[in-house]
Amino acid sequence: MNFSITRQNLHQGLASVSASIPSKTTLPVLSNILFETSGDGIRMSGTDLDVGVRLQVPAEVKEGGALTAPGKKLQEIAKELPDEMVVIETRGDQIEMRCGRSRFKLNGLPSEDFPQLPQVDFDGGWTADGKDLLSLIRHTSFAVSTEESRPVLNGVLWELRDGEMRMVATNGHRLARMRIPAGPSLETTTQFIVPPAALQQVQRLFRDEDQVTVAREQNHLGFRAGNAEVYTRLIEGTYPNYEQVIPKDNDKSALIQRKVLESAVRRVAAVASDQTHRIRLEFTSGRVILNVLTPDLGEAHDEIEVGYDGEPITIGFNANYLLEVLRYVGTDEVKMSFKAPERAAVVEPVAVGDAEPMDYLCLVMPLRLVD
Amino acid sequence: MPLSKPPSPGGRSNQAPSAGRSILLLDCDAFFVQVARREDPDGAGRAERLLVGGSSGRGVVTSASYAVRAFGVRSGMPVAEALRLCPDALVVPVPRGACVERSRAIRAELETLAPVVQAASIDEFYLDLTGTGRLFAGESLAQTAARIRGRVHEATGILVSVGGATNRLVAKLAAGFAKPHATRAGGGGETGVFVVPPGREADFMASLAVADIPGVGPALAGELEQRGIVTVPDLLAVEPEWLARWVGEGRADWLRERALGRDDSEVTAGEARKSISAERTYGTDVPPGPAGNAELEGRLLELSMSVGATLREKGFRARTITVKLRDADFSTRQRSHTLPEAVESDRAVYEVGRAMLRDLRARGRATRLLGIGVAGFEDEAGVEQLDLIGPDEPGAPVRAESDRDRTLSRVADQVRARFGDDAIRPGRVMEGRAERDSRRRESDES
Repeated sequence: MNFSITRQNLHQGLASVSASIPSKTTLPVLSNILFETSGDGIRMSGTDLDVGVRLQVPAEVKEGGALTAPGKKLQEIAKELPDEMVVIETRGDQIEMRCGRSRFKLNGLPSEDFPQLPQVDFDGGWTADGKDLLSLIRHTSFAVSTEESRPVLNGVLWELRDGEMRMVATNGHRLARMRIPAGPSLETTTQFIVPPAALQQVQRLFRDEDQVTVAREQNHLGFRAGNAEVYTRLIEGTYPNYEQVIPKDNDKSALIQRKVLESAVRRVAAVASDQTHRIRLEFTSGRVILNVLTPDLGEAHDEIEVGYDGEPITIGFNANYLLEVLRYVGTDEVKMSFKAPERAAVVEPVAVGDAEPMDYLCLVMPLRLVD
Repeated sequence: MPLSKPPSPGGRSNQAPSAGRSILLLDCDAFFVQVARREDPDGAGRAERLLVGGSSGRGVVTSASYAVRAFGVRSGMPVAEALRLCPDALVVPVPRGACVERSRAIRAELETLAPVVQAASIDEFYLDLTGTGRLFAGESLAQTAARIRGRVHEATGILVSVGGATNRLVAKLAAGFAKPHATRAGGGGETGVFVVPPGREADFMASLAVADIPGVGPALAGELEQRGIVTVPDLLAVEPEWLARWVGEGRADWLRERALGRDDSEVTAGEARKSISAERTYGTDVPPGPAGNAELEGRLLELSMSVGATLREKGFRARTITVKLRDADFSTRQRSHTLPEAVESDRAVYEVGRAMLRDLRARGRATRLLGIGVAGFEDEAGVEQLDLIGPDEPGAPVRAESDRDRTLSRVADQVRARFGDDAIRPGRVMEGRAERDSRRRESDES
């Protein structure tokens, strides 16, 4: 294998692919990036066996071939090279790199040792607007569970049905759901549970203006746009019936200035327990009273004005869940609705003026005092 | 820590008799019953015959009101059996959160009344009033105790019994005499206070049985009883050399000191305990492989039981579990796991620990030390994060511990408290011990 590549292209390619390389691995070849010559350039691939990334980069190929070489080391070197053409050549299992007067030799591993990325037939897939896809990911993937005991919740549920794309994520304590009309081209009805690590790669590699082709092959999903591809293993199992837990009879609602509530919650939460992060919100006519009482630590009290004229109600929340949801809901004003102290509260964005309303909601389950 | 445990044979305790100190032990009377009554004045509050404990079919009695105790009902007894003895008793669940809050309130009140306060458990507090004689202007220790008892009742609504003496051992035993319905002669059941005057410790001890001494478990008491030693005077009548020959020198010294009513352990306020752990060093490294793994898992279960028992004794629940391994080359590696909910049962501690042990052993190195610890004690008992997903749905919350696990561990604690540490053990631990014994015998024979 022998090719020349600009330093920028090499660096950019390495930076994109090496993010998919595991930081610790028992399989040494996974620390490497696979280089393969193809047509008018080279392909670089990296994977941690669950998620894989492949990038096509322009290069002048003199001699075809393939080899794997240590990803992080190459990236460190490429970052410091002068802006000149880089010549890369293989000698046996070694990769040689020349740029200006700099010379490097790195030990690689044969390309056959590198795990094959899933074979996904993109012709049988569908396309999604980069903007929609990225917005769905951004608004939901924060809510996935990191607890290993509930594996289906470790992924984002992605549904295509009724002409809509939906993403849902929850850890059982709070949930985010977003729906976007998918346009006429989408006829597929399907659903799968995608690991957030794959969606993170999608966010890194694709732009709003991309048309992303998505295709499924058995238990894998592939994303492709431009010169980049992301592959992922899907999480197996049945996702809980989330529709069932979204309250439909929340009869009390408050209109709240998001930033005002956010800073009040942040203030009082300083005194909340490190374990439960418990705060109490008391909704009364035109006001929310925030209270925290943590034994052995202290107490806090705060009040903010809100649009509320329902019956007084007091609900306990984990302050962190509330803050997180407020951050992602994003609009200046939010609507918070609830029914009872032990039922899910719903937080939704409030669109102002001509702004396009988002079909987005977050649920937060309250904290209860047992006994 | 409450009272020091007897040192293992070979240990030595050189304790000078404590003099001039003023120690009180406050012990809440049927604490869980009192709290349950205050939490539900119209229900539990009106029931004279009240049982606090698991209300499910397999639940056990955590605490019983004195009226129910008169029927022979004791803590640790299955609720079903208790109801056979006293059919019209009202059974209510343990108001855990309220108990923790009430216990904190008592401690906070005590801290305004005494310079050193140590919470020995959820319902027991040691106070060291040494040096406050002038402050309380001629008040006797009994008067101070009565005053503090009144203040605690006023501030928290909880009735306590107070024992007083020049040391912790005698103060704790005296508190037993201050309890309502204390049947012993000279009991302070009327006033809720019983103080042993300075210099009278040995006389006080002489009225007790050896088994009453904290730290003397059923096994030791049984061993002594076989030699005809039942009461404290019996014990003191034995030549020290003989006692040393029977129970070991260290333990004999410790027993005689206790029998004379001597104890110089201090009441230390300090920070509340942050972690509980147990570990075991092997004489011979445990090799990698299935046999070694099985040995370590058996040992981990024993250590988990020890840690779990302490955890429950202190009335704590813990969220973080840590397993530590020291390899043959002395490098120490550990793994920790923080659970979404705090746990207290042996099974939960062990199961979580075992997964980490397997992970640590995957490196295939020989092991010289194994340890397990728990930390992250629940700081706000009773706060429960509600879950969106029902128990029968996919993705339902997986509880590290069930009510059954808790009940099992507590019942086992009760059985051990009554019949000795070996009275009830998981089969796996028995097998492990039998194997180790047979290996030891084999190596002795060879």
